[in-house]
Amino acid sequence: MLKPEPESSAGEIAIRLRDVKKTYGSDGAPVHALRGVSLEIGRGERVAFMGKSGSGKSTLLNLLGGLDRASAGHLSVAGHDLGRISRRALARFRSESVGMIFQSFNLIPSRTALENVELPMIFAGLAPRDRRALAAHALEAVGLGARLDHRPSALSGGENQRVAVARALVNRPRIVLADEPTGNLDSETAETVMTLLLEHVAQNGTTLVLVTHDEELGRSSTDRVLRLKDGQVAQ
Amino acid sequence: MRLADLLSLPLVALWQQKTRTLLTTLGVIFGAFVLAASLSIGDGVQKTINREMRRVEFARRIEVSVSWGPAAPAARETRIEGTFNESRRQRLLKSQQEMSQRTRFARPKIALNQERLALIRALPHVEQVVPDVNDHGFAILENRSVNTTLCRARPDDETCKKRVVAGRFFESPAENAAVITEDLAYRLGVRSDAALDALVGTPLVLEFRAPKTEAPIGLYLANQNGDMTLETQQALETLMDRLPDSLEKLGLSTVAAAAIRGALKKPEEPTKPMPTTRETLTIAGVLRAPSDEELNAPHEYSVMHAGVLLPYETAAAVFFRGPDPKRKEGLNNASVLVDHEDHVKPVLAAIRGLGLEARAMVQFIDRQRLIYLLIFAGMTCVAAVALVVSAIGIGNTMFMSILERTREIGIMKAIGADNLHLQLIFLIEGAVIGVVGGILGLLLALAASYPGDSWVRSMVNRDLDIKLEDSIFVFPPWLAASVIAFTALVAILAAVYPARHAARIDPVKALRHE
Ligand SMILES: Nc1ncnc2c1ncn2[C@@H]1O[C@H](COP(=O)(O)OP(=O)(O)OP(=O)(O)O)[C@@H](O)[C@H]1O
Ligand SMILES: [Mg+2]
Repeated sequence: MLKPEPESSAGEIAIRLRDVKKTYGSDGAPVHALRGVSLEIGRGERVAFMGKSGSGKSTLLNLLGGLDRASAGHLSVAGHDLGRISRRALARFRSESVGMIFQSFNLIPSRTALENVELPMIFAGLAPRDRRALAAHALEAVGLGARLDHRPSALSGGENQRVAVARALVNRPRIVLADEPTGNLDSETAETVMTLLLEHVAQNGTTLVLVTHDEELGRSSTDRVLRLKDGQVAQ
Repeated sequence: MRLADLLSLPLVALWQQKTRTLLTTLGVIFGAFVLAASLSIGDGVQKTINREMRRVEFARRIEVSVSWGPAAPAARETRIEGTFNESRRQRLLKSQQEMSQRTRFARPKIALNQERLALIRALPHVEQVVPDVNDHGFAILENRSVNTTLCRARPDDETCKKRVVAGRFFESPAENAAVITEDLAYRLGVRSDAALDALVGTPLVLEFRAPKTEAPIGLYLANQNGDMTLETQQALETLMDRLPDSLEKLGLSTVAAAAIRGALKKPEEPTKPMPTTRETLTIAGVLRAPSDEELNAPHEYSVMHAGVLLPYETAAAVFFRGPDPKRKEGLNNASVLVDHEDHVKPVLAAIRGLGLEARAMVQFIDRQRLIYLLIFAGMTCVAAVALVVSAIGIGNTMFMSILERTREIGIMKAIGADNLHLQLIFLIEGAVIGVVGGILGLLLALAASYPGDSWVRSMVNRDLDIKLEDSIFVFPPWLAASVIAFTALVAILAAVYPARHAARIDPVKALRHE
């Protein structure tokens, strides 16, 4: 799971972007979702991205999570040059270096909470006994020790998001990417989820990138707020 | 990813879609069932045919016969007398020649004589050569003689063995022994049970004479009073010799006398004195006449009706020591037994190479086998088509299921699944359906073979003279292995496209997918 930072000489920098661009669509009607983003995020730093809908926040997060590749520019996350590494290495990077949390939970409906948390460890090649223990532990940590064998349909929204948090953290990633994790939750539940997330980040020195529409939440839970506007970081 | 997980993920997915999995697998089961059943019956029927043939040594037999050439050339040249135009003369000549051909016997191109029999016996893989000897001559017991038919017999002839009423049947094909019928013994003057039993061990003399004329006057006389003795025959021959010179004394008209003289005209070349041979054999046993039941069963006519039987090699030796024309023209037929049915074809070819005709039952059986083979090949093709259809079903169902699981696949990619993992997972899903369907289809065929077997057996026992002991369905390991391998292969091939599609799903789009 945890492996030595390949580029520890890069010092405290966990994420570095140089003029990253992302264009969607055909040549005829291109959509410029990111128009040249350059930024650096330190190791263990907590950063919030804010901006209007369609400003490119999710696009940027998908690039950071290795779900997609940039159209241009240089992108280095946890020491991996995401523009250069192979597809297989990218899959490995997703499994080991980052944990992602989405607004819509993205749990597999046919699997129990425990199985959902286990899944990333299956792809990482952990032995069944180890991963079951780790998954159960992670679920206990988010307060769901009693709901291990429930399917997502039998859990509330907040519980589902806690399962998703457990799944994102169980591989102990260096970087956690959360795309509006509380967007579908009421304020009270949102607070519980955020508290769990922030506790983990604080304890493990994890780098956190949080996308949110909530000014208050963004400012209170992170070290730095960056604003995106039309695919660029606003000053 | 661990191997166990590569297997368990597809299994879990299949289990979660039980109905769909069941329906897809049913198609494969059906295809595998038909495939296994047709391969099994095909193989089983071949084995049954082979086994039955080995049992009756029928497949190892070759019937040899001489091929008949044109008739012997006419002794005298055909001439057309008188004055005719050329084309009419040719037509008359042609029909005259044809008429004279018809009245002479055809000659074998290559005689089946002792040397050729020896050549056949010397061929590799030939186990036994039974010459087909059918003859007639005079049987002489003490001072009584009577004409009789004579035939060769095989020492292992079961029907003949059952007919023995005194003494024994033959022990070897070449012993100097004869077996005679009760009826012949009676005609030779035996008049009590004790005298009949006493015949065993006594000598029997056989005399063979070359016929002197092609129109034996003796036939007419024989029909009048039953038996022909040696004395009658000799008397008739003398009569025929003297008749032309005595015609005047019979008070016939000149025309009638001339007609008879013409019919009795001797050949122009001087006739050699016709040799007569005598053989002395020991009577080994006496046979009763065959029962009606024995005559109704398939049998060889001459063995059942001959007055004297000789073991086949002795019979051939006696035959070839006989008067000249016999020795020259040889036998018409012989029966050859080959050591193994696989060697029938080379032996057939070798015998044909000697200029003789040869036929083997195996050739007819081969044709029969070819028909079976074609039927089973047809069935196998139908089975293969059934499997291909079920493969299309697998491909279709998997593709649908992957479309439904697009979001799930996107999630798996987002948390670290590699393209290769996903591809393998879906290929294994296909393989599991193929292997499970193959095994179930095979088991179904195995189960169906029991009622199938008893059905076939009852049919065979009712209609044929064969007793089936073993199953006509066989499931050798190669069959089981190839059915399962084939269905698995077909199912995996069906999963290739859906699996590649799954691997290529873009996680960003998939996560947006609701
Ligand atoms: N696959 C795509 N094809 C074409 N355009 C896309 C695609 N994905 C995103 N876009 C466009 O890129 C732009 C940025 O989208 P993005 O989802 O990153 O916005 P966002 O800031 O996350 O918005 P929101 O706050 O509503 O989630 C939008 O204009 C969107 O329409
Ligand atoms: Mg968004």
